Amino acid sequence: MYASYVGVKSLRITGYTLSSFLYGRQVHSNAELLNNCTKVENKNPRNMELLRIARKPVGYQLEKPGRNYWHKLQLSKTGRHVTAEVIHFQNGPVVSASTIEWSIKKQLYRLKDASAYQNIGQILARRCLESGIYFMRCDIRSSDGDKIKLFLKEIKRNGITLQEHKCYHNPQPWSSDRPEKPWAVVE
Amino acid sequence: MATRLLRIFSSDLIVLKGQQVRYGHRMRGVPPTKARTLQQRLDELNYKDPELALQVNIGLPLPKRSRAEITSKWLSELKQHRSDSEYERKARHRELIIDMEAEKKDWLQTSAPLQCKTIAKHYEIFEHLYGDAYFYPIVPLDIDYDFGSEDSLARVYRGNIIKSDEAKQAPSITYKAESDTLWTLLFTTPDGVLTDANEYCHWFIGNIPGNEVSKGEQLMDYLRPIPPRGVGYCRYIFVLYKQDKKIDYSEYKTEQPCLALEKRSFNTRNFYQKHQDYITPAGLAFYQATWDSSLTDVYHNTLKMEEPAFEYDFPQPYIKPQTWFPLKQPFNLYLDKYRDPKDVNKDYLLKKLKKVHPFKAPEPPLKFPNAHRLPDDMPSWLKLEVKKNRMGLGRINEIE
Repeated sequence: MYASYVGVKSLRITGYTLSSFLYGRQVHSNAELLNNCTKVENKNPRNMELLRIARKPVGYQLEKPGRNYWHKLQLSKTGRHVTAEVIHFQNGPVVSASTIEWSIKKQLYRLKDASAYQNIGQILARRCLESGIYFMRCDIRSSDGDKIKLFLKEIKRNGITLQEHKCYHNPQPWSSDRPEKPWAVVE
Repeated sequence: MATRLLRIFSSDLIVLKGQQVRYGHRMRGVPPTKARTLQQRLDELNYKDPELALQVNIGLPLPKRSRAEITSKWLSELKQHRSDSEYERKARHRELIIDMEAEKKDWLQTSAPLQCKTIAKHYEIFEHLYGDAYFYPIVPLDIDYDFGSEDSLARVYRGNIIKSDEAKQAPSITYKAESDTLWTLLFTTPDGVLTDANEYCHWFIGNIPGNEVSKGEQLMDYLRPIPPRGVGYCRYIFVLYKQDKKIDYSEYKTEQPCLALEKRSFNTRNFYQKHQDYITPAGLAFYQATWDSSLTDVYHNTLKMEEPAFEYDFPQPYIKPQTWFPLKQPFNLYLDKYRDPKDVNKDYLLKKLKKVHPFKAPEPPLKFPNAHRLPDDMPSWLKLEVKKNRMGLGRINEIE
């Protein structure tokens, strides 16, 4: 089986080079091209996450906070600064906004007061929208403090959803239900 | 002697009432003190040789700013704000909303190249365009699609989603450049390519004088994004290269409009390798687009081809080898697993068609499907099957 496949493949290649040698490069029409095409690859690593068929780590049951996310919002504060980041489960921090950045620091009065949190939230949300990250998990509770509440409110107000979709699991023929395919829904 | 022997063996033979005994318990794997953690094992699996995974910076150098310059110029400004009572009042009342436009302008000059590179790496842009190379996008690109809306434009940032319908017309491109410099703009996609090419080139302009894109040499005309149906979100990437001298791009020139997709096959890596002595990547912007209904017309009338549609190839489920005596298994479900799914579906379809009459109206669906009594002599497995079909659960969904 495998040998025949290889044979056909090499035959095609030799035929191709011969014709190109004789008549120059042969260009197939679009319709012809489609007839030969049986599979296509989407190399975009974020595509599977957007279609909700990517793998999401399960983590451990007794662990808190869990690891069941693709993107997660993280807020950290040091002695002087506040940093908000979006963490990817494999790639680490991918989008960030911090008062350590001159562009933000410049326009603030204090680097850790409520208005700093508010502005960090707004800027991070905008950067996320510009980077194509619209959904993320959030383990920060707004009950943790007044400033954090303001921060989360700004993030939500600017169009970020602080909850990720569940994974789509392909139903087997014997499965009882057929969940809706996220990619088949066209607005 | 006997009592002595009894004392020795009693602990093994006589089990006290209520004492937990772990029958057949043995240590699985390495003891916990010696075993590696899951993280350690994963790190070992994903280890890459740093010499082989070396990434090369092929871009322009990051602008260097000395610490003295920053402190002298910026700190005075900062002190001025701090002493401003109006600022203090606004911050206290949480009304200090920073000017986003000004923030963005400063950001583009300071940390933007670093952050843009991070997000581009997240989208594996460099890996799929250049392989082992990367660059910092020093030159900010403003790319706007005008899609006929009066008050808004679709701007290309770093991976935002733009509808393919909105990207019909070629976008307007602006960047800061001196008039005596030359630039090259490439708009390519590595995703959803129908041939075995690396990418499709959607737009190629070479030898652009300064920032006047319209005065450049258009080698390939603009083709709107054509993500095939079912493939999902494809990346569409603009890369701006700085040229050191005028380059002869005549080998890339195609007739315009270029509608043969095969002629648009492109490989950025090969292109860069060929001209690397005279071009340097300087700007980057990309977006994601997916199929929409407006593309049907493009495929049929512009590209003169059928509309391709694909479906994700999910891995097939593992089914155990069949045994002669499957115990504790419902026989009907067990046997169905080993039949050709097409045959199973055919059975369901035939059963459904039996009820269909060419001239009579179809039977109305049951209002309370499980309230209808089934014959008493019906076997339980068949009762369950009928109930499942009435409720629309299981294999009946395959034909509907």
